[in-house]
Amino acid sequence: MYFFFYFLMSGVFLGAIYGIIGLGIVIIYKSTKVFNFAQGHLLMVASLLVASTAGRFGIIIALIITIVGTTVIALILERLTLRPLIGQPLIAALLMTIALSYLLEGGALIIWGEGLYKYPPLFPHEALMVAGLAVQQQVVWAFILVAACFTAFVLFYRRTLLGKAMRATAEDHQASQSMGIRVTQIFSVSWAIAAALAFVASIFLGSLSGAHYMNSHLGLKAIPAVLVGGLDSIAGAIIGGLIVGVLECLVTGYLTSELGEVVPFIVLLIVLLIKPYGLFGMVRIERI
Amino acid sequence: MMSRPAGVIDVRYEQDIAIIRTLPQWITLGLFLLFLLLLPKLFPARYLLNVINIIMIMTISIHGLNILTGFAGQISVGHAAFMGVGAYACASFMTLWGLSFWICLPLSGLTAGLVGVLFGLPSLRLKGFYLAMATIAAQFIITSFFFHFKPELFRGAQGMNIEPVRLGSIVFDNQENLYYLILPIAALMTFFARNLVRSRMGRAFVAMRDNDLAAEIMGISLFAYKLRAFFIGCFFAGIAGALYIAFMRMIRPDQYSLMDSIWMLGIIIIGGMGSILGGILGTIFVKVLDEFMLALVPLLGSILPRELASRLSASMGLVVFGLVVVLFLILEPRGLAHRWEILKNRFRHWPFTYGH
Repeated sequence: MYFFFYFLMSGVFLGAIYGIIGLGIVIIYKSTKVFNFAQGHLLMVASLLVASTAGRFGIIIALIITIVGTTVIALILERLTLRPLIGQPLIAALLMTIALSYLLEGGALIIWGEGLYKYPPLFPHEALMVAGLAVQQQVVWAFILVAACFTAFVLFYRRTLLGKAMRATAEDHQASQSMGIRVTQIFSVSWAIAAALAFVASIFLGSLSGAHYMNSHLGLKAIPAVLVGGLDSIAGAIIGGLIVGVLECLVTGYLTSELGEVVPFIVLLIVLLIKPYGLFGMVRIERI
Repeated sequence: MMSRPAGVIDVRYEQDIAIIRTLPQWITLGLFLLFLLLLPKLFPARYLLNVINIIMIMTISIHGLNILTGFAGQISVGHAAFMGVGAYACASFMTLWGLSFWICLPLSGLTAGLVGVLFGLPSLRLKGFYLAMATIAAQFIITSFFFHFKPELFRGAQGMNIEPVRLGSIVFDNQENLYYLILPIAALMTFFARNLVRSRMGRAFVAMRDNDLAAEIMGISLFAYKLRAFFIGCFFAGIAGALYIAFMRMIRPDQYSLMDSIWMLGIIIIGGMGSILGGILGTIFVKVLDEFMLALVPLLGSILPRELASRLSASMGLVVFGLVVVLFLILEPRGLAHRWEILKNRFRHWPFTYGH
């Protein structure tokens, strides 16, 4: 029972990270119809930026530098590489973000090398005791933050003008353009939001395992999380993230870690066979 | 594409549909094939033959991906895994049943094709990114299957080995003999691919890619043709995988990683999607680039400080791949094949500049 609880805890924590990465992917996909393969790599850059600047400038300034830096990188990538691809077939956008992820990984290797950087401690180490079970504080924080992100985005999309403009853009680029929405601006905004989310996820991943250029590979495992939930659903990204994270940790804990790596993808195939648009994705009716 | 030199007039239907239309084209083709046949005698360098052999094997696999993704429009991010299926199938048939390579070769193509159909089943309901990600799932599941399943046969991370392929008294264990093993198969598969894409099935694939709903209304069964596309694409991959194991004589599960699958997609972008010639050009381009990078590493080590040089050489593959794909996607999304067409038309219309 104790072990089960422990696996569940780490599963929820991992799932929260997947969920936040997935949220970034969903927000970009919703407005630009691009599947951002490089979301995990933005996260990796963010975690390395924090780890390498915190020693010199202090944690607060390092966090500010990082969020600005990551957002600027994302905006530059969007403007230079994805903007010219509007109207190109799907595979072009897919390969472009994959190529971007390689560029980010290669760039990180050149700048930071293969070393593991120590992440500044942000969460207190003492565990909270809940009904005789130790719960690490970062897990609690991750859970709170995921809930906060979810509420914030639901409110943002329902209430604010910008959020409504983004929903309109997701629906139809040309129609929203003729309603006076600057679609290109919406693209930039969604990439900036995704970069900020990558930054948030990097805080938790950094506290969990430090900053390393291989952190990006976590983004690869966020892919089944997003698709299980549905590519265009905010709730789906978070619930999918939690499902995949918990399953992965339970399988890794009770069976083998190699199987744990594959389980997300097996779940993905099964879910897609039954519900092709994911659990919460919008079913599109197509016309010619 | 459809343009031909002035003065060439087709009077029979057979002439109209022929791939090779004019006498100079026949002569060029004949000379090219002769050149390919004599190549090991003209340039007996082992290193060069090694590179050419790999290019020819990759070309077969790329033709498969091109048919599946470039023509039928079903994005597959797991093509390397299907190549691995072919290689493992070949090795296990040879060790389990002691069959000769010549029977295993078509059998492994068939096995890879059937596995491809299995993982292509979701394509009946999935489209676009969802399908691409389902094929990523295939990549991971297949790789870990060979890693962990039946360790007494597949032997886990250690991988499988086979004896060199024999035909009568010829043993295919050096580069020159392997060249003569691979060349006819590569030529045959290229011919097959080139003809397939202009057959009824190839036209159905293109219709499906351009608009699947419209294609269905016109009487193309999406169910049948998507699965056929997966079967044929993966059949090519399986043949390539079997040849690769005849070439390397060993296989490990990590030889066919996600990165290789992505490289293959990159190759068809670089060469030109939906062009058989593009597949060949793209493979040559990428392989030559690869060799250049390998040659560059020691050079970097001698110029730059050690730390920087090791970082650069570790990241070079990633950065170069990223840059090449980004530049091709932005500057020439139709790939090298399109450039070649432009060049041909320039030459044909010279000294006039129109017509391209």
